[in-house]
Amino acid sequence: MNQHRVLNDRDHRELRVLTDASSDLGDAVMACLTVPYEFRQVQACYPIVFRRDLESDAFSALALFGFTNGENLFLENGKWDAPFKPLAQAIQPFLVGRPAGGEGESQVHVDMEHPRISTSGEGVRVFDEDGRATPYLESIAEKLGNLDVAYRASGDFYAALKRYELLEPFTLEVPLSDGSKHSLVGFHIINEEKLQALGPDELADLHSGNHLMPIFMALASLSHFGDLIARKNRRLTSG
Amino acid sequence: MKRQIGRVVIVGGGTAGWLSACVLAARLPDLSITLVEAPDIPTIGVGEGTWPTMRSTLASIGITEAEFLAECDASFKQGSRFDGWVTGEPRDSYLHPFNLPADGPMDALLAAWRSAAPDLPFAAAMTAQAQLCSRDLAPRQRFMPDYAGAANYAYHLDAGKFAALLARHATTRLGVTRIAAHVTGLERIDNRDIAAVRTQEGERIAGELFLDCTGHAALLIGGELGVGWIERSDVSFNDRALALQVPTEPGCAIASQTVGTAHEAGWIWDIALPHRRGIGCVYSSRFMDDTRADEVLRKYVARHLPEANLTALAPRKLAFATGHRAEFWHRNCISIGLSAGFIEPLEASAIVLIELSLRALAENFPASRGAMDIHMKRFNELFRYRWDRIVEFLKLHYVLSQRSEPYWVAQRDPATIPPRLAEQIQLWRDQPPSNWDFPQVDEIFSAASQQYVLYGMGFAPPANCAASPAALARLAEVREQGRALASALPTNRTYFDNLAAASTPVAVMEKTA
Repeated sequence: MNQHRVLNDRDHRELRVLTDASSDLGDAVMACLTVPYEFRQVQACYPIVFRRDLESDAFSALALFGFTNGENLFLENGKWDAPFKPLAQAIQPFLVGRPAGGEGESQVHVDMEHPRISTSGEGVRVFDEDGRATPYLESIAEKLGNLDVAYRASGDFYAALKRYELLEPFTLEVPLSDGSKHSLVGFHIINEEKLQALGPDELADLHSGNHLMPIFMALASLSHFGDLIARKNRRLTSG
Repeated sequence: MKRQIGRVVIVGGGTAGWLSACVLAARLPDLSITLVEAPDIPTIGVGEGTWPTMRSTLASIGITEAEFLAECDASFKQGSRFDGWVTGEPRDSYLHPFNLPADGPMDALLAAWRSAAPDLPFAAAMTAQAQLCSRDLAPRQRFMPDYAGAANYAYHLDAGKFAALLARHATTRLGVTRIAAHVTGLERIDNRDIAAVRTQEGERIAGELFLDCTGHAALLIGGELGVGWIERSDVSFNDRALALQVPTEPGCAIASQTVGTAHEAGWIWDIALPHRRGIGCVYSSRFMDDTRADEVLRKYVARHLPEANLTALAPRKLAFATGHRAEFWHRNCISIGLSAGFIEPLEASAIVLIELSLRALAENFPASRGAMDIHMKRFNELFRYRWDRIVEFLKLHYVLSQRSEPYWVAQRDPATIPPRLAEQIQLWRDQPPSNWDFPQVDEIFSAASQQYVLYGMGFAPPANCAASPAALARLAEVREQGRALASALPTNRTYFDNLAAASTPVAVMEKTA
């Protein structure tokens, strides 16, 4: 049974969460989920790629931090070396939950088995001594709310991409400074040629659904592959 | 190029001597530095509070924060709290924290405080740090880089262990030569400059510059060179202390600030380290005898540390003169530490004066004997200015009191108040303390310190102040910042217990390697 609990000021009055960046705290991941709502911020730091779930055939977007499982090239000496963390990463160990039955107002849940749950007395309090939410919980709740709304709205975005067949499979061969090669397979990116070929009515359709901006943001984000390779090379030479 | 002034001889170990050795060796590595200390003279070991300057001092001499904290049984100090200084009544307490007050013109901030948060003490309205202090929280998280904090902080420490750490660092990592010997005399050139010190063991240690770090004895500057002493006990009455160290229970809270509690004829210091409290009764022998001081001290311990074994406590008695040298630098000899002067430890000025002396010396190190006289003159003027400001600032703590015991009434006698302080207090009725009152670059007690004491003790803000929207917004930010910091920082106890748990295996590995 999982240890997801509905966060409340009785059971979690003394709860503290470790907020520093560390592989011990679950940050050693090569990617995390991202939503079109935050593509503008994400594209300033990370490449955005898309992945198709083979069972459901649904697409989702990922912000990439590395090239292999468990590799986060932004994690350096206990610091996350980027000004912005995608919401799905920033909200850990919290998650959006629903009351039993799956309907109704979303709730703040907490994964009590997550390594960010502090047992040392250090870390940030979620409630103060009087049971009021701390500024940290206020900011987490805001992020969770945004993520929940944005995730549910993203269906329309992927439907639009499908409608105009704007996603294409993508393979990246990464030549590294030590002579080795990495290949990144199984992802999709925006098909730029098809995007350029769209007519005014199709563009107007995308624009009216607020999809045009995130499409261009996802395209722009690909320039960060250069940065990601440079980070990988730096690690190869220093390590 | 070889230095004309290349050999520095430091006489005396202790905090002053070893800090001098470390700072000079780290900042001017081409100097040849020798420290002579008698192997059997114990250090006084009462200077247990530093200023935030200690963080950059330690960083500059190459000691990591974790090493310092572990080796010196240190704790964090975020300011001083003064209990009972205004009236002596139960809720009479104010804080002088290290964080500056909110940004902006102080007159508008004062008005904003009076209108928007009149129930909050001045410090709590002006800085988020007050919330950390009232909750015994640490100023930093362990994953932060060395010497960085979410709030400004200094240290409480075990002075004996601090001197030992500095000595080890100076001799093993910074190339300082230590000679264990008793200095018995000086060799002077034509009765002027010092050429060498001679030891009982028959050694002659020559140099171009001599630092007198011999404490109250002032062997060189006072004894041999005969530089006079300027008595300041006419302003600062306290001349005795009874000092105790009381072991504490594991897991007990560690206070974030030095607590100074006023009593009928002086005050009691209370400094919390991870495993003990340093507690001492400071008093004036004119107004209190030793027996009564012992009673006052024991009563305090019984109230604040009920588990302590009172009968086992044997306070150490210290008698001290308040004052300083007429010249701190004379010929080629500089007094650093207690040999330069002493005043009661009310605002922990002893160690910071050592740091300031060394900074002045290291950044103005004489290149030649000719330049030395110019540096000497400037150094003497600067430190005379600083001593005057310290004497005045400490006096401010007494002048604003309303207590009625004879000691406190005598403290307010205008004849005992330095004229410059009296003038400033008159001006502060019309305008808050500002840089106009303290125009030097490195003022030892800035306008902010004066404000914390002044308004902490209930001095009325100028009548014509008006709250600006900006000032109200600043105070609202302080409240929000306080909430955020109070929720993010661990208690001091948690910090130090976790630090000890994390560092133990490393220490064991080093020893077995």
